[in-house]
Amino acid sequence: MPGVIVVAVLILLGATPAAAHHGWSGYDSSKELTLTGTIREAGYEHPHGSVRLQTPDKTWVVVLAPPSRMENRGLRRDMLVPGAQATVVGYPNRTDPEELRAERITISGKTTELR
Amino acid sequence: MHPPIGPAWAVWLETSAPAVAMRQWLWLYPAVEITHIVGFVVLVGSAFMFDLRLLGLSRALPVSAMAAHLLPWARLALLLVVPSGVLMFMAHATEFSTNPAFRIKLILIALAFLNAGLFHRWPFRAVGDWDTELTSPAPARVAGVLSIALWIGVITCGRLLAYF
Repeated sequence: MPGVIVVAVLILLGATPAAAHHGWSGYDSSKELTLTGTIREAGYEHPHGSVRLQTPDKTWVVVLAPPSRMENRGLRRDMLVPGAQATVVGYPNRTDPEELRAERITISGKTTELR
Repeated sequence: MHPPIGPAWAVWLETSAPAVAMRQWLWLYPAVEITHIVGFVVLVGSAFMFDLRLLGLSRALPVSAMAAHLLPWARLALLLVVPSGVLMFMAHATEFSTNPAFRIKLILIALAFLNAGLFHRWPFRAVGDWDTELTSPAPARVAGVLSIALWIGVITCGRLLAYF
């Protein structure tokens, strides 16, 4: 009950899920995109890693997985560096047209599942 | 990747050494999260057990004895909860400082402390009159209900921080 009230208050306050990093509901999974480009900036950081990916059309902020998970799956910090080519498959943020949440990322032929 | 933009104090916190370590060290962040969870399990768990006694469950147990057993643990748990919470806030200070869920969480925590403080200064003073086998006075029952509701609200906001 108090939880319901809190959620209602948050919605009334006009809180947008756009800033959210957890969860996938803020991303439109019906619009799967495949982007290939050059990493311009990389953050191997909690709670989610991310890269700024320059594609021919525009530069995306691509949200990845927690660094501990990426490390565990073989996507090391030194692979996620500016200048590297990367292909990501993911879903655009419903409200932020610059942001994509990646389902998987391929760097130098190695694909890492991020979910 | 999210360049810190916001009030100077928040940018300063977010670029400080502990905040950078929180974001970049592989296992620090989850360790701090675990510390926070263990802390609030003890804090809120103790509070709930005490509140349920105020509401009339397990009347054979003296309220004063339950307070003596549970409430020191609730206070000690703050030593885990507060520093770990501060560290998580620092890691994302600019984002959290404008996050509505975080603001509501702080307000609810303040109200929970206020509720506990009022309970100790008012109905609990006369606990000898209703210590065992008796219905707690209405103010004590109200304090119990408020405590449960406020702490559930705090936990809800804490979890929703990541979603708003």
